[in-house]
Amino acid sequence: MIRIITSLVFFICGLAFAQSPSQYEQGMGKAMGLWKEGKTAEATAIFERIASVEKTNWLPNYYVAFINTIEVFKSQDKSKAPAYLDKAQQALDNATAISPNNAELMVAQAMIYTAWIVQDPMANGMKYSSKAMEQYYKAQAIAPENPRVVFSKAEFEIGGAKYWGTDTKPMCAEIERSLGLFAKFKPETAFHPSWGLDRAQEALKNCGK
Amino acid sequence: MKTVFTFLVALYSMSLLAQTTISGKVTDNKGRPIEGANVFIEGAYDGTTSDAKGDFTFTTTEKGNQTLVVTYLSFETQRTAIVIETYQPQTLKLRESVNTLDAVVISAGTFKAGDNSKVSALKPLDIVTTAGAAGDIIGALQTLPGAQIVGESGRLFVRGGESDETQTYVDGIRVAQPYGATANNLPTRGRFSPFLFSGMTFSTGGYSAEFGDALSSVLLLNTTNEADQEQTNLSFMTVGLGASNTQKWKKSSLTFNTSYINLEPYQKVIKQNVDWVKPYQSLSGESVFRRSFENGLFKFYAAFDYAMFNLNQKDVNSVTPLNVDTKNNNFYLNSSYKGSFGSGWSIQTGISFGFSQNKIGLDVNDLNNRENASHMKLKLTKKFSDRINLTFGGDYFITDFDETYKDYSFGDFTYGYRNTIGAAFVETDIFFSKKLAAKVGVRAMNSDLLGKSTVDPRVSLAYKTSKNGQVSVAYGDFHQNPKQDYLKFHSDFNYEKTTHYILNYLYATNGKTLRAEVFFKDYKDLVKYDSNMPLFNSQYNNNGYGYAKGLDVFWRDNKSVKNLDYWVSYSFIDSKRDYKNYEAKVTPNFVANHTLSLVGKYWINDWKSQLSVTNSFATGRPYDNPNETAFMNGKTKSYNSLSMSWAYLLSQQKILYFSVSNVLGNNNVFGYQYANSPDLAGQFQRQAITQPADRFFFIGFFWTISQDKSKNQLENL
Repeated sequence: MIRIITSLVFFICGLAFAQSPSQYEQGMGKAMGLWKEGKTAEATAIFERIASVEKTNWLPNYYVAFINTIEVFKSQDKSKAPAYLDKAQQALDNATAISPNNAELMVAQAMIYTAWIVQDPMANGMKYSSKAMEQYYKAQAIAPENPRVVFSKAEFEIGGAKYWGTDTKPMCAEIERSLGLFAKFKPETAFHPSWGLDRAQEALKNCGK
Repeated sequence: MKTVFTFLVALYSMSLLAQTTISGKVTDNKGRPIEGANVFIEGAYDGTTSDAKGDFTFTTTEKGNQTLVVTYLSFETQRTAIVIETYQPQTLKLRESVNTLDAVVISAGTFKAGDNSKVSALKPLDIVTTAGAAGDIIGALQTLPGAQIVGESGRLFVRGGESDETQTYVDGIRVAQPYGATANNLPTRGRFSPFLFSGMTFSTGGYSAEFGDALSSVLLLNTTNEADQEQTNLSFMTVGLGASNTQKWKKSSLTFNTSYINLEPYQKVIKQNVDWVKPYQSLSGESVFRRSFENGLFKFYAAFDYAMFNLNQKDVNSVTPLNVDTKNNNFYLNSSYKGSFGSGWSIQTGISFGFSQNKIGLDVNDLNNRENASHMKLKLTKKFSDRINLTFGGDYFITDFDETYKDYSFGDFTYGYRNTIGAAFVETDIFFSKKLAAKVGVRAMNSDLLGKSTVDPRVSLAYKTSKNGQVSVAYGDFHQNPKQDYLKFHSDFNYEKTTHYILNYLYATNGKTLRAEVFFKDYKDLVKYDSNMPLFNSQYNNNGYGYAKGLDVFWRDNKSVKNLDYWVSYSFIDSKRDYKNYEAKVTPNFVANHTLSLVGKYWINDWKSQLSVTNSFATGRPYDNPNETAFMNGKTKSYNSLSMSWAYLLSQQKILYFSVSNVLGNNNVFGYQYANSPDLAGQFQRQAITQPADRFFFIGFFWTISQDKSKNQLENL
């Protein structure tokens, strides 16, 4: 009996003490799950709530920005794009304020610029492509071995090179190099960005075609 | 033992019981449910997403005073203070965000060139890719409705107004001498290279109380806030050379831009209608320094321009042509700061100084003048919410002008003036809803030289009529000091005055824009004088008056045909004035009743080329024939000019650019100059005022050197 009570007491106390970190992990885990299921609005909502608590953690804001940007690439409806991108930019600005010199955030920023380019290449192409490249160069200087930096930069450059008919071999070599980096890459926690390997493999398949 | 256990269980259940349920409904302001809104307690993990009926329910362990937050894409985030223990289910109404792109915009009278703004008529790129504009900002604006084509001037003439009825501003600070040096009846260009500017607003009337001392129009140019990257641009042109370089540091950047233009080699090859002794030569440069602070941005802009030319101008009044030898020195600097402070406050302040010196030899006589012009400005804005803000501030202008005419036979005449103008303005922007917005302001001005004050009310309203359409109206009074040509001889004047009434309809969908505007302008107190031209001994008064009314239509479409972007501008204007030395109220000689511009740009992917075609047409302009009794009764033949350009991208950073203006070589006549006295047969002889050359050819090679290799100078061509 005593044992049961003791364990129950420990259980309750444990619950009370462990509440704060576990709630974060629970929330993040749930949001990641919803996102994988394609429930992006719900996932964003949870990340947003987490961001309102975790004022010194850049990750929830990062995911709000990232999901809303990806939404623009996936969606056929162009009219909603500015609203998504504004939301993404706001969240990213919050994240950058928390963590100013962060290569992952720079990659996300470059992706927001790329999304603007996709909306209206004629009007936005020139302006945002140099802004995007600037982010990639900055990210590269901070984290030259980050696979997402290496891959995203190469993928962005391939777009331009294909158009100009210049050689894409150097970029393909970079994508290949990123595969090795992906294999070596260990995210700090389970919730730190770790995406990209499948996309890099896909991009490499299309290389040289 | 049992009691302890019961106690513990009770404690545990109590902690379960301490969870409070928060529920309610989220709707828009018309009561329609919103699905997918994020409802949560700020600073807690507790929250949920509203369902299809807008209903939400969640439990929280938080206590006491909390903030309930509701967010939803393109709606304003709502924060409600609640007390958890006494919370009752409630309906939360969200308001659509007025910051979104589909909110109503005040558009009467305004053309914008910028990014992501639906009222943008032009994109920054257009300044330079428009055939016939030749990289001149003013040239590109002349393809918009409301601007007249006045080929012998090259300046902006807006809606029946003269060119000096437009004021130009860089970063909110006035530019006293926006145009380059030129001789009588030869077109000039704007001094500013499009290279350094990212945003532009061209107002053809009804503009904000922030700006004044301009009867017709303001042109607002903004230098880029941030340099994209370090780069070097080189230009090799048939008319000269140019180079620019941008350096970037952590918080600041510096761009400088310099060019040397010499038309001599070109004019040796291509026949000119003007007898140049020494063709136009200039050395000019601009530089911008930007420094960003945590809450603000400081910019310093400086430009210099040294130009000289010498030509023999035919004059119907003399057997031998008049030799004009001009040397112009111009310097402009402008520093501005824009920042935010406190809660919702922002400040914009700056100072500019412009210096211009002309040394003009007219045969054996000399005309020398010098102008110093400064502007100081302070503007404060308080944002009360996303929907209401209040702007107020003041301007202080100082102009100092001296001129000496050295007559070979009669000696020197020296004259000039000094004027200081103080102005104050206050204005508020109010969004009543996403559909209805208003801007109401008033501006007061006092000129030291005239010794008089004015108060100008300005009002504009915009209402969204459908998903893509909106109607705007604008009304305003505008006062301006009489122009330099008069003030240098005489100062006992009143302000010249206009009142604008504008009705605007704007329809914008993705890639297509229709803008139609009708306007009426009432001119009062215009300056009149009683001599051939304004002189020191002329009799002046403010008894002139007039009107201008008309219709402007603009249509732009870059969606219907792939890779084709085109626009059509049409202006109809009916304007009459009795001013200057006019004998009666007539249509002035710079007004053409109908103006039509067609601009097309076609991108050929396989050739990596952009072809651009511009056709400008205007009906004939009046001129006065002293051989007839009726005043200003003549009319020139209509004007037409077809221009083409071809930009070829050799590689991503190397561009070859060809352009020809007036391809068809139309002999356009802008007016006639008549002799001051009749010949022996009693007839006044005349000579036509025509183009300096039938066509203008241009070939340039533009090379950008930068780290990322993606940027090029297409936007500067």
